[in-house]
Amino acid sequence: MASVQTEVLVIGGGATGVGVAWDAATRGFQTILVERKDLAEGTTGRFHGLLHSGGRYAVKDRLAAEECIHENFILRRVAADTIEDTGGYFVSTPWDDDAFGDEFLRGCRDCGIPVEEITVAAALEEEPRLNPAISRVFTVPDAAIDSWKLVWACARATKEHGGRMLTYHRVLDIIKDADTVRGAKVRNELTGEEFDIHADFTINATGAWAGVIADMAGCPGVEVLAGKGIMIAMNHRLVNTVINRCTMPADGDILVPIRTVSVIGTTDIRIKAPDEPEVTRDEVDRMLDDGEKLVPGFRQARALRVWAGVRPLFKDAKAADSGDTRDVSRSHALLDHHQRDGMARFLTITGGKLTTFRMMAEETVDKMCEQLHDKRDCRTAIDPLPASKDGNFYSLGERLVKREETMHHDQLICECELIQRRKLEDVMAQRNSTILDDIRRSLRLGMGPCQGGFCMYRATGILHNVEQIDNNAANKSLHDFLQERWKGVQPILYGDQLRQARLDDWIFQGLLDVEHLPHNDLAEHDGQPHDDLAEHDGPSA
Amino acid sequence: MRDVLVVGTGLSGLVAGLRCQEAGLSVTVVAKGVGSTHLAPGTIDVLGYDPELVEDPIEALPAFIQRNPQHPYAAIGATTMRDALAWFMQRFVGYRYAGGDGNLMLPTAIGAAKPSALVPETMAAGDLRNGGRIVFVGLRQLKDFWPAFAAQNTSAVKLPSEAGVTARAIQIEAQTGGEADVNGLAFARLFDDARFRRAVITQVSAQLEDDEVVAFPAVLGVQRPHEVWSELQDAFERPVFEVPSLPPSVPGMRLYDVLRTQFERAGGRTILGAEAVGAETDGSRVTAVQVSSAARVKPHPAKQFILASGGFGSGAVTMDSSWQVKEEIFGLHVAGVPAEAEERFGPHYFDEHPMGRAGIRVDESLRPLDAEGNRSYANVAVVGASLGGAAAWKEKSGDGISLSSGYRAAGVVIEESK
Amino acid sequence: MIEDLIRGSLDHCVKCTICESYCPVSRATPLFPGPKYVGPQAERFRTGGISPDDSLDYCSGCGICTHVCPQGVKIAEINARARRTLKERNGIPLRDKIIARPTVGARLATPVAPIANWTLRNKAVRTAVEKAVKVHRRAPLPVFAGRTFQRWARKHESPPLERTVVYFHGCSTNYFEPDLGAKTVAVLEHNGFNVIVPEGQGCCGLPLQSNGLFDDATAYVKRLVSTLVPYARKSYDIVATSTSCGLMLKREAHEILGIEDDDLTTVSEHMYDICEWLADLHERGELKTDFGPLAMRVPYHAPCQQRGHGIGTPALELLRLIPELEATDSNRECCGIAGTYGLKKEKYDIAMEVGRPLFEDITAAAPELSVCDSETCRWQIEHGTKIDSVHPIELLHRSYGLD
Repeated sequence: MASVQTEVLVIGGGATGVGVAWDAATRGFQTILVERKDLAEGTTGRFHGLLHSGGRYAVKDRLAAEECIHENFILRRVAADTIEDTGGYFVSTPWDDDAFGDEFLRGCRDCGIPVEEITVAAALEEEPRLNPAISRVFTVPDAAIDSWKLVWACARATKEHGGRMLTYHRVLDIIKDADTVRGAKVRNELTGEEFDIHADFTINATGAWAGVIADMAGCPGVEVLAGKGIMIAMNHRLVNTVINRCTMPADGDILVPIRTVSVIGTTDIRIKAPDEPEVTRDEVDRMLDDGEKLVPGFRQARALRVWAGVRPLFKDAKAADSGDTRDVSRSHALLDHHQRDGMARFLTITGGKLTTFRMMAEETVDKMCEQLHDKRDCRTAIDPLPASKDGNFYSLGERLVKREETMHHDQLICECELIQRRKLEDVMAQRNSTILDDIRRSLRLGMGPCQGGFCMYRATGILHNVEQIDNNAANKSLHDFLQERWKGVQPILYGDQLRQARLDDWIFQGLLDVEHLPHNDLAEHDGQPHDDLAEHDGPSA
Repeated sequence: MRDVLVVGTGLSGLVAGLRCQEAGLSVTVVAKGVGSTHLAPGTIDVLGYDPELVEDPIEALPAFIQRNPQHPYAAIGATTMRDALAWFMQRFVGYRYAGGDGNLMLPTAIGAAKPSALVPETMAAGDLRNGGRIVFVGLRQLKDFWPAFAAQNTSAVKLPSEAGVTARAIQIEAQTGGEADVNGLAFARLFDDARFRRAVITQVSAQLEDDEVVAFPAVLGVQRPHEVWSELQDAFERPVFEVPSLPPSVPGMRLYDVLRTQFERAGGRTILGAEAVGAETDGSRVTAVQVSSAARVKPHPAKQFILASGGFGSGAVTMDSSWQVKEEIFGLHVAGVPAEAEERFGPHYFDEHPMGRAGIRVDESLRPLDAEGNRSYANVAVVGASLGGAAAWKEKSGDGISLSSGYRAAGVVIEESK
Repeated sequence: MIEDLIRGSLDHCVKCTICESYCPVSRATPLFPGPKYVGPQAERFRTGGISPDDSLDYCSGCGICTHVCPQGVKIAEINARARRTLKERNGIPLRDKIIARPTVGARLATPVAPIANWTLRNKAVRTAVEKAVKVHRRAPLPVFAGRTFQRWARKHESPPLERTVVYFHGCSTNYFEPDLGAKTVAVLEHNGFNVIVPEGQGCCGLPLQSNGLFDDATAYVKRLVSTLVPYARKSYDIVATSTSCGLMLKREAHEILGIEDDDLTTVSEHMYDICEWLADLHERGELKTDFGPLAMRVPYHAPCQQRGHGIGTPALELLRLIPELEATDSNRECCGIAGTYGLKKEKYDIAMEVGRPLFEDITAAAPELSVCDSETCRWQIEHGTKIDSVHPIELLHRSYGLD
């Protein structure tokens, strides 16, 4: 069986893991990252996109707030391309105690969060859809951050420094002897090949799944609570500024404009297992009510998609045992297993939020350096990520501008999200994956209002053409996409979205008749291209 | 006061309005916009799957009706369907419709074989029932047609007759003035031009093999489809057919133009950009429909009303964020909606959903029924996609329902107007 | 609330492509990606009103997209509002500011109309104007009448009949077609109405709005409304012969400029296109039908802005009351002028291509004249066919024997 040697093995391809890989690689460590699915497939890819200013925690959790604003400034410098500088408002709605606003102001100032109270009239001028009955408004430097772009930028930086990102590689077991972790045995999920990765140091950055890996490493008892939160993406940006309720953190109190949608979130329910969390009708209803408080007419607006993310909360023995996982500290936890379990060369980093991912990674790699007696300086707060070197923030109109330039010589495949054919073909080639769902996620193909009604036939045709896969594999790809899309749409299938679904039914069933494609062997299929240790690079934009 | 007010200008509204106007009634059609014909492939699908493949929908209809008493076909009846199909075919001169001998099995743009009862003549040669060899011709600049994909799937089609189908694909580079992204309608306009056709013929002819039928995407002319199609067949000396794809549907537009022109010639009046928003009633009769136009809502009185407004797809029947269902104009009872707390849709996309057949239930005269099964209004008929009891896209029955219900409603109205 | 009503309507878009199929501009040029693209689709990419996509400028504002949309998306209105911010970003050319204010030039030119008209038809002058200000040298500019309708109206005493109606004549009737105004008054009086022509009626602001000058347009609208609202408050109907100006007051001032104003609402509620109003009269059995025969075959073209009223084609219904007159519907989308769009150097050819099928149809039929409710369309059609084009009222007037 093949085996690979490296210096640092990072397990987990969410923001934390990718951040650690980025940090380690830029410090000159030979690094390999393994992720059982696609990058950012877990929590990172399912959050609402908010780059915290820290205002949300300014009263409740000073530590978290300070960490947020500190990292907010750093990320604006090194990851500008992934950030849209929307700014944020904290608003006192008729359902909030507007006296809290004073505490809020104080808290922000104490934490070093730039804050200013503005008039309601000024806020409404800027954001005409906001509830006119709000009584106070405070501005803070919240922003929207694209987690896929971020994760792929870190991956690219890691690769540029000699690191390797192995997606679709599942850890089967941790290689260890009595007191030291030596690496992991992994399986390439696409080819079935199993091999060992020997590493000088192993870092467990699997977020909500941290306990599973820790157990394999002989470090039991790492309890990570799974806090499920649902989010609903509304079809267009009802607001262009992040809107927060000026109150103690609660459900449904954030509305984030991110890319072409606005996302309302979120709930917080402790669940047992972090895989495949369900969206309930009751949760949807509550989110819509909460949205209505911020933007009157929310319920008449079109809901595009709903999903559940699972936030990992490391349980601190000191916290009270409430059902609301929000009470558990939002701050992260770095577990030194040498100290805790007598197992050397192994760290677990868990908890935290996306805004502080870089800091979590820095802490982790610092600790690793300490234990390796090899002090190296962190570069991630200094060297901008690829594509962020010019310091320009992401602007939503970018795709529009790009299309202006190419509209005569490149075909528009996904019209809703302005994805062009050449881009799609490039990504298909790069990612070496015929899993349309992965491509969908990285490009947002079929995630616009038409929900794939118009672009999926085209994209599948291109996939069939470019990837030289056979029709059965292409059929399955399409079929899987339709089912995957349905999951995100079914719980919010009312109003305009229902009209769209009806049209899409006509297209897929009444016109194309995908149900009666020949040889409905939509279970297993052949046709996956493969090579050893498949490398994956991400889209460049 | 007009004799008939039709709300909606999709297939069912056009058919109902045209039949009434030609019978000497004065008809006004009001519609929010142009209707569903532009989105549909232009074929008339009567009954394709029940859930097994239906070989002859006309033959199968009586038994189907027996087994499905809640289906719109039960109210309409097999005889009326036959009459409606015959009436429909007579509408087309020059560019004709073909069919009448069981369901044709036409390859879709993705290569599945779909059963249709009537199809434009320009599509009929695609009938797979007797097998054969097909070459799918792709136009490089048309992103809505993937010939290689369609060909591979078509080759794997399993037919009841067990006839074999082999399909291959070729592609040509059309003269589009340098534009890389050209949609189906733009291509259809190009095909209307003789010079463009000649260039296509030259390119395609060079790649044809013996004994094959030539398949194009459904862009063979929008003004002169019969001429375009005939010319290609003559030039290739092989049968030619077109394959409908995503909207804009050129065959759908042709269908719309034919019916609309006939309606206008017969003296019918159409008001577009006019949304019906409510009704005025007097007991069990509707006296007027309130129509919204710029700056005002105006009542349009009429003796009879035909609701051809389009069901859930057009927002004629709505479900709001609290899962409440409503028919927007007359407030008619919508049957087939699960109880308040229950799920409307199941977890698997391709399964039938609890709410899949929701819609207005009607009696044999297509008069809407309330929750107790009594007539809501004596002078309203409901046709088309608003009708409940069918899973039209699964059964492949949508056009059949629209055509036959529009035809039947007109018949009822004509009768009652005597 | 406007934001809600217009931008929010993009939620209804199911990407069906029907609007694109009917858009006359995207048929004529690949420079315009189509109404679905620049409207509900691109709007999702616009933040805080900033419009980074220049191809939006090729939208002519004809409004056919909104008219045919089966889902009720306010496509043309979304485009108009986005175009405004595009202009703000790019700056508004001097040319647009000039052609957007017909009354300014008209007021200056009217006393010297013959000279002004000659000047504007002089090739050398037009070539220079095209270079300087980018109004196409062959663009169909209107002819100054040399006298104003307002002046005629001031001298005219409308008989004190039982019922009263108010006439909103619009600036084109005032400066370019005062005879049309006189004929309109005659037709109304013939039908038993005392006609009030409110004084000081200015421009409705439509050309300003379509060129992105929203603040100026708003000022114009408010001024105009102030001259009309006293009559609206007395519940008098207001009729407009310029169908586009009527639509501006009926709905575009609210939906596109975003004006929320009781006076405007009151005026809107009482505003009618003249043919709409006469057809309603006929429906109630109150229209005088003493029409004399006119043995002619005339093509009728419904302007885009007339369609925007959502009232069908009442002009055709009225024309069909005239014995021996055969009026046929052109069944063409657009003549191409779209207000001031077709005057512009970079848009002229597109506009002529848009109108080509209509011009060819009319030329082939070789009628004595064609009929159309909008003045800018009439000038464009005359330009493209060399055949006279008249407002439907002119035929009614003739048929009534009021000549």
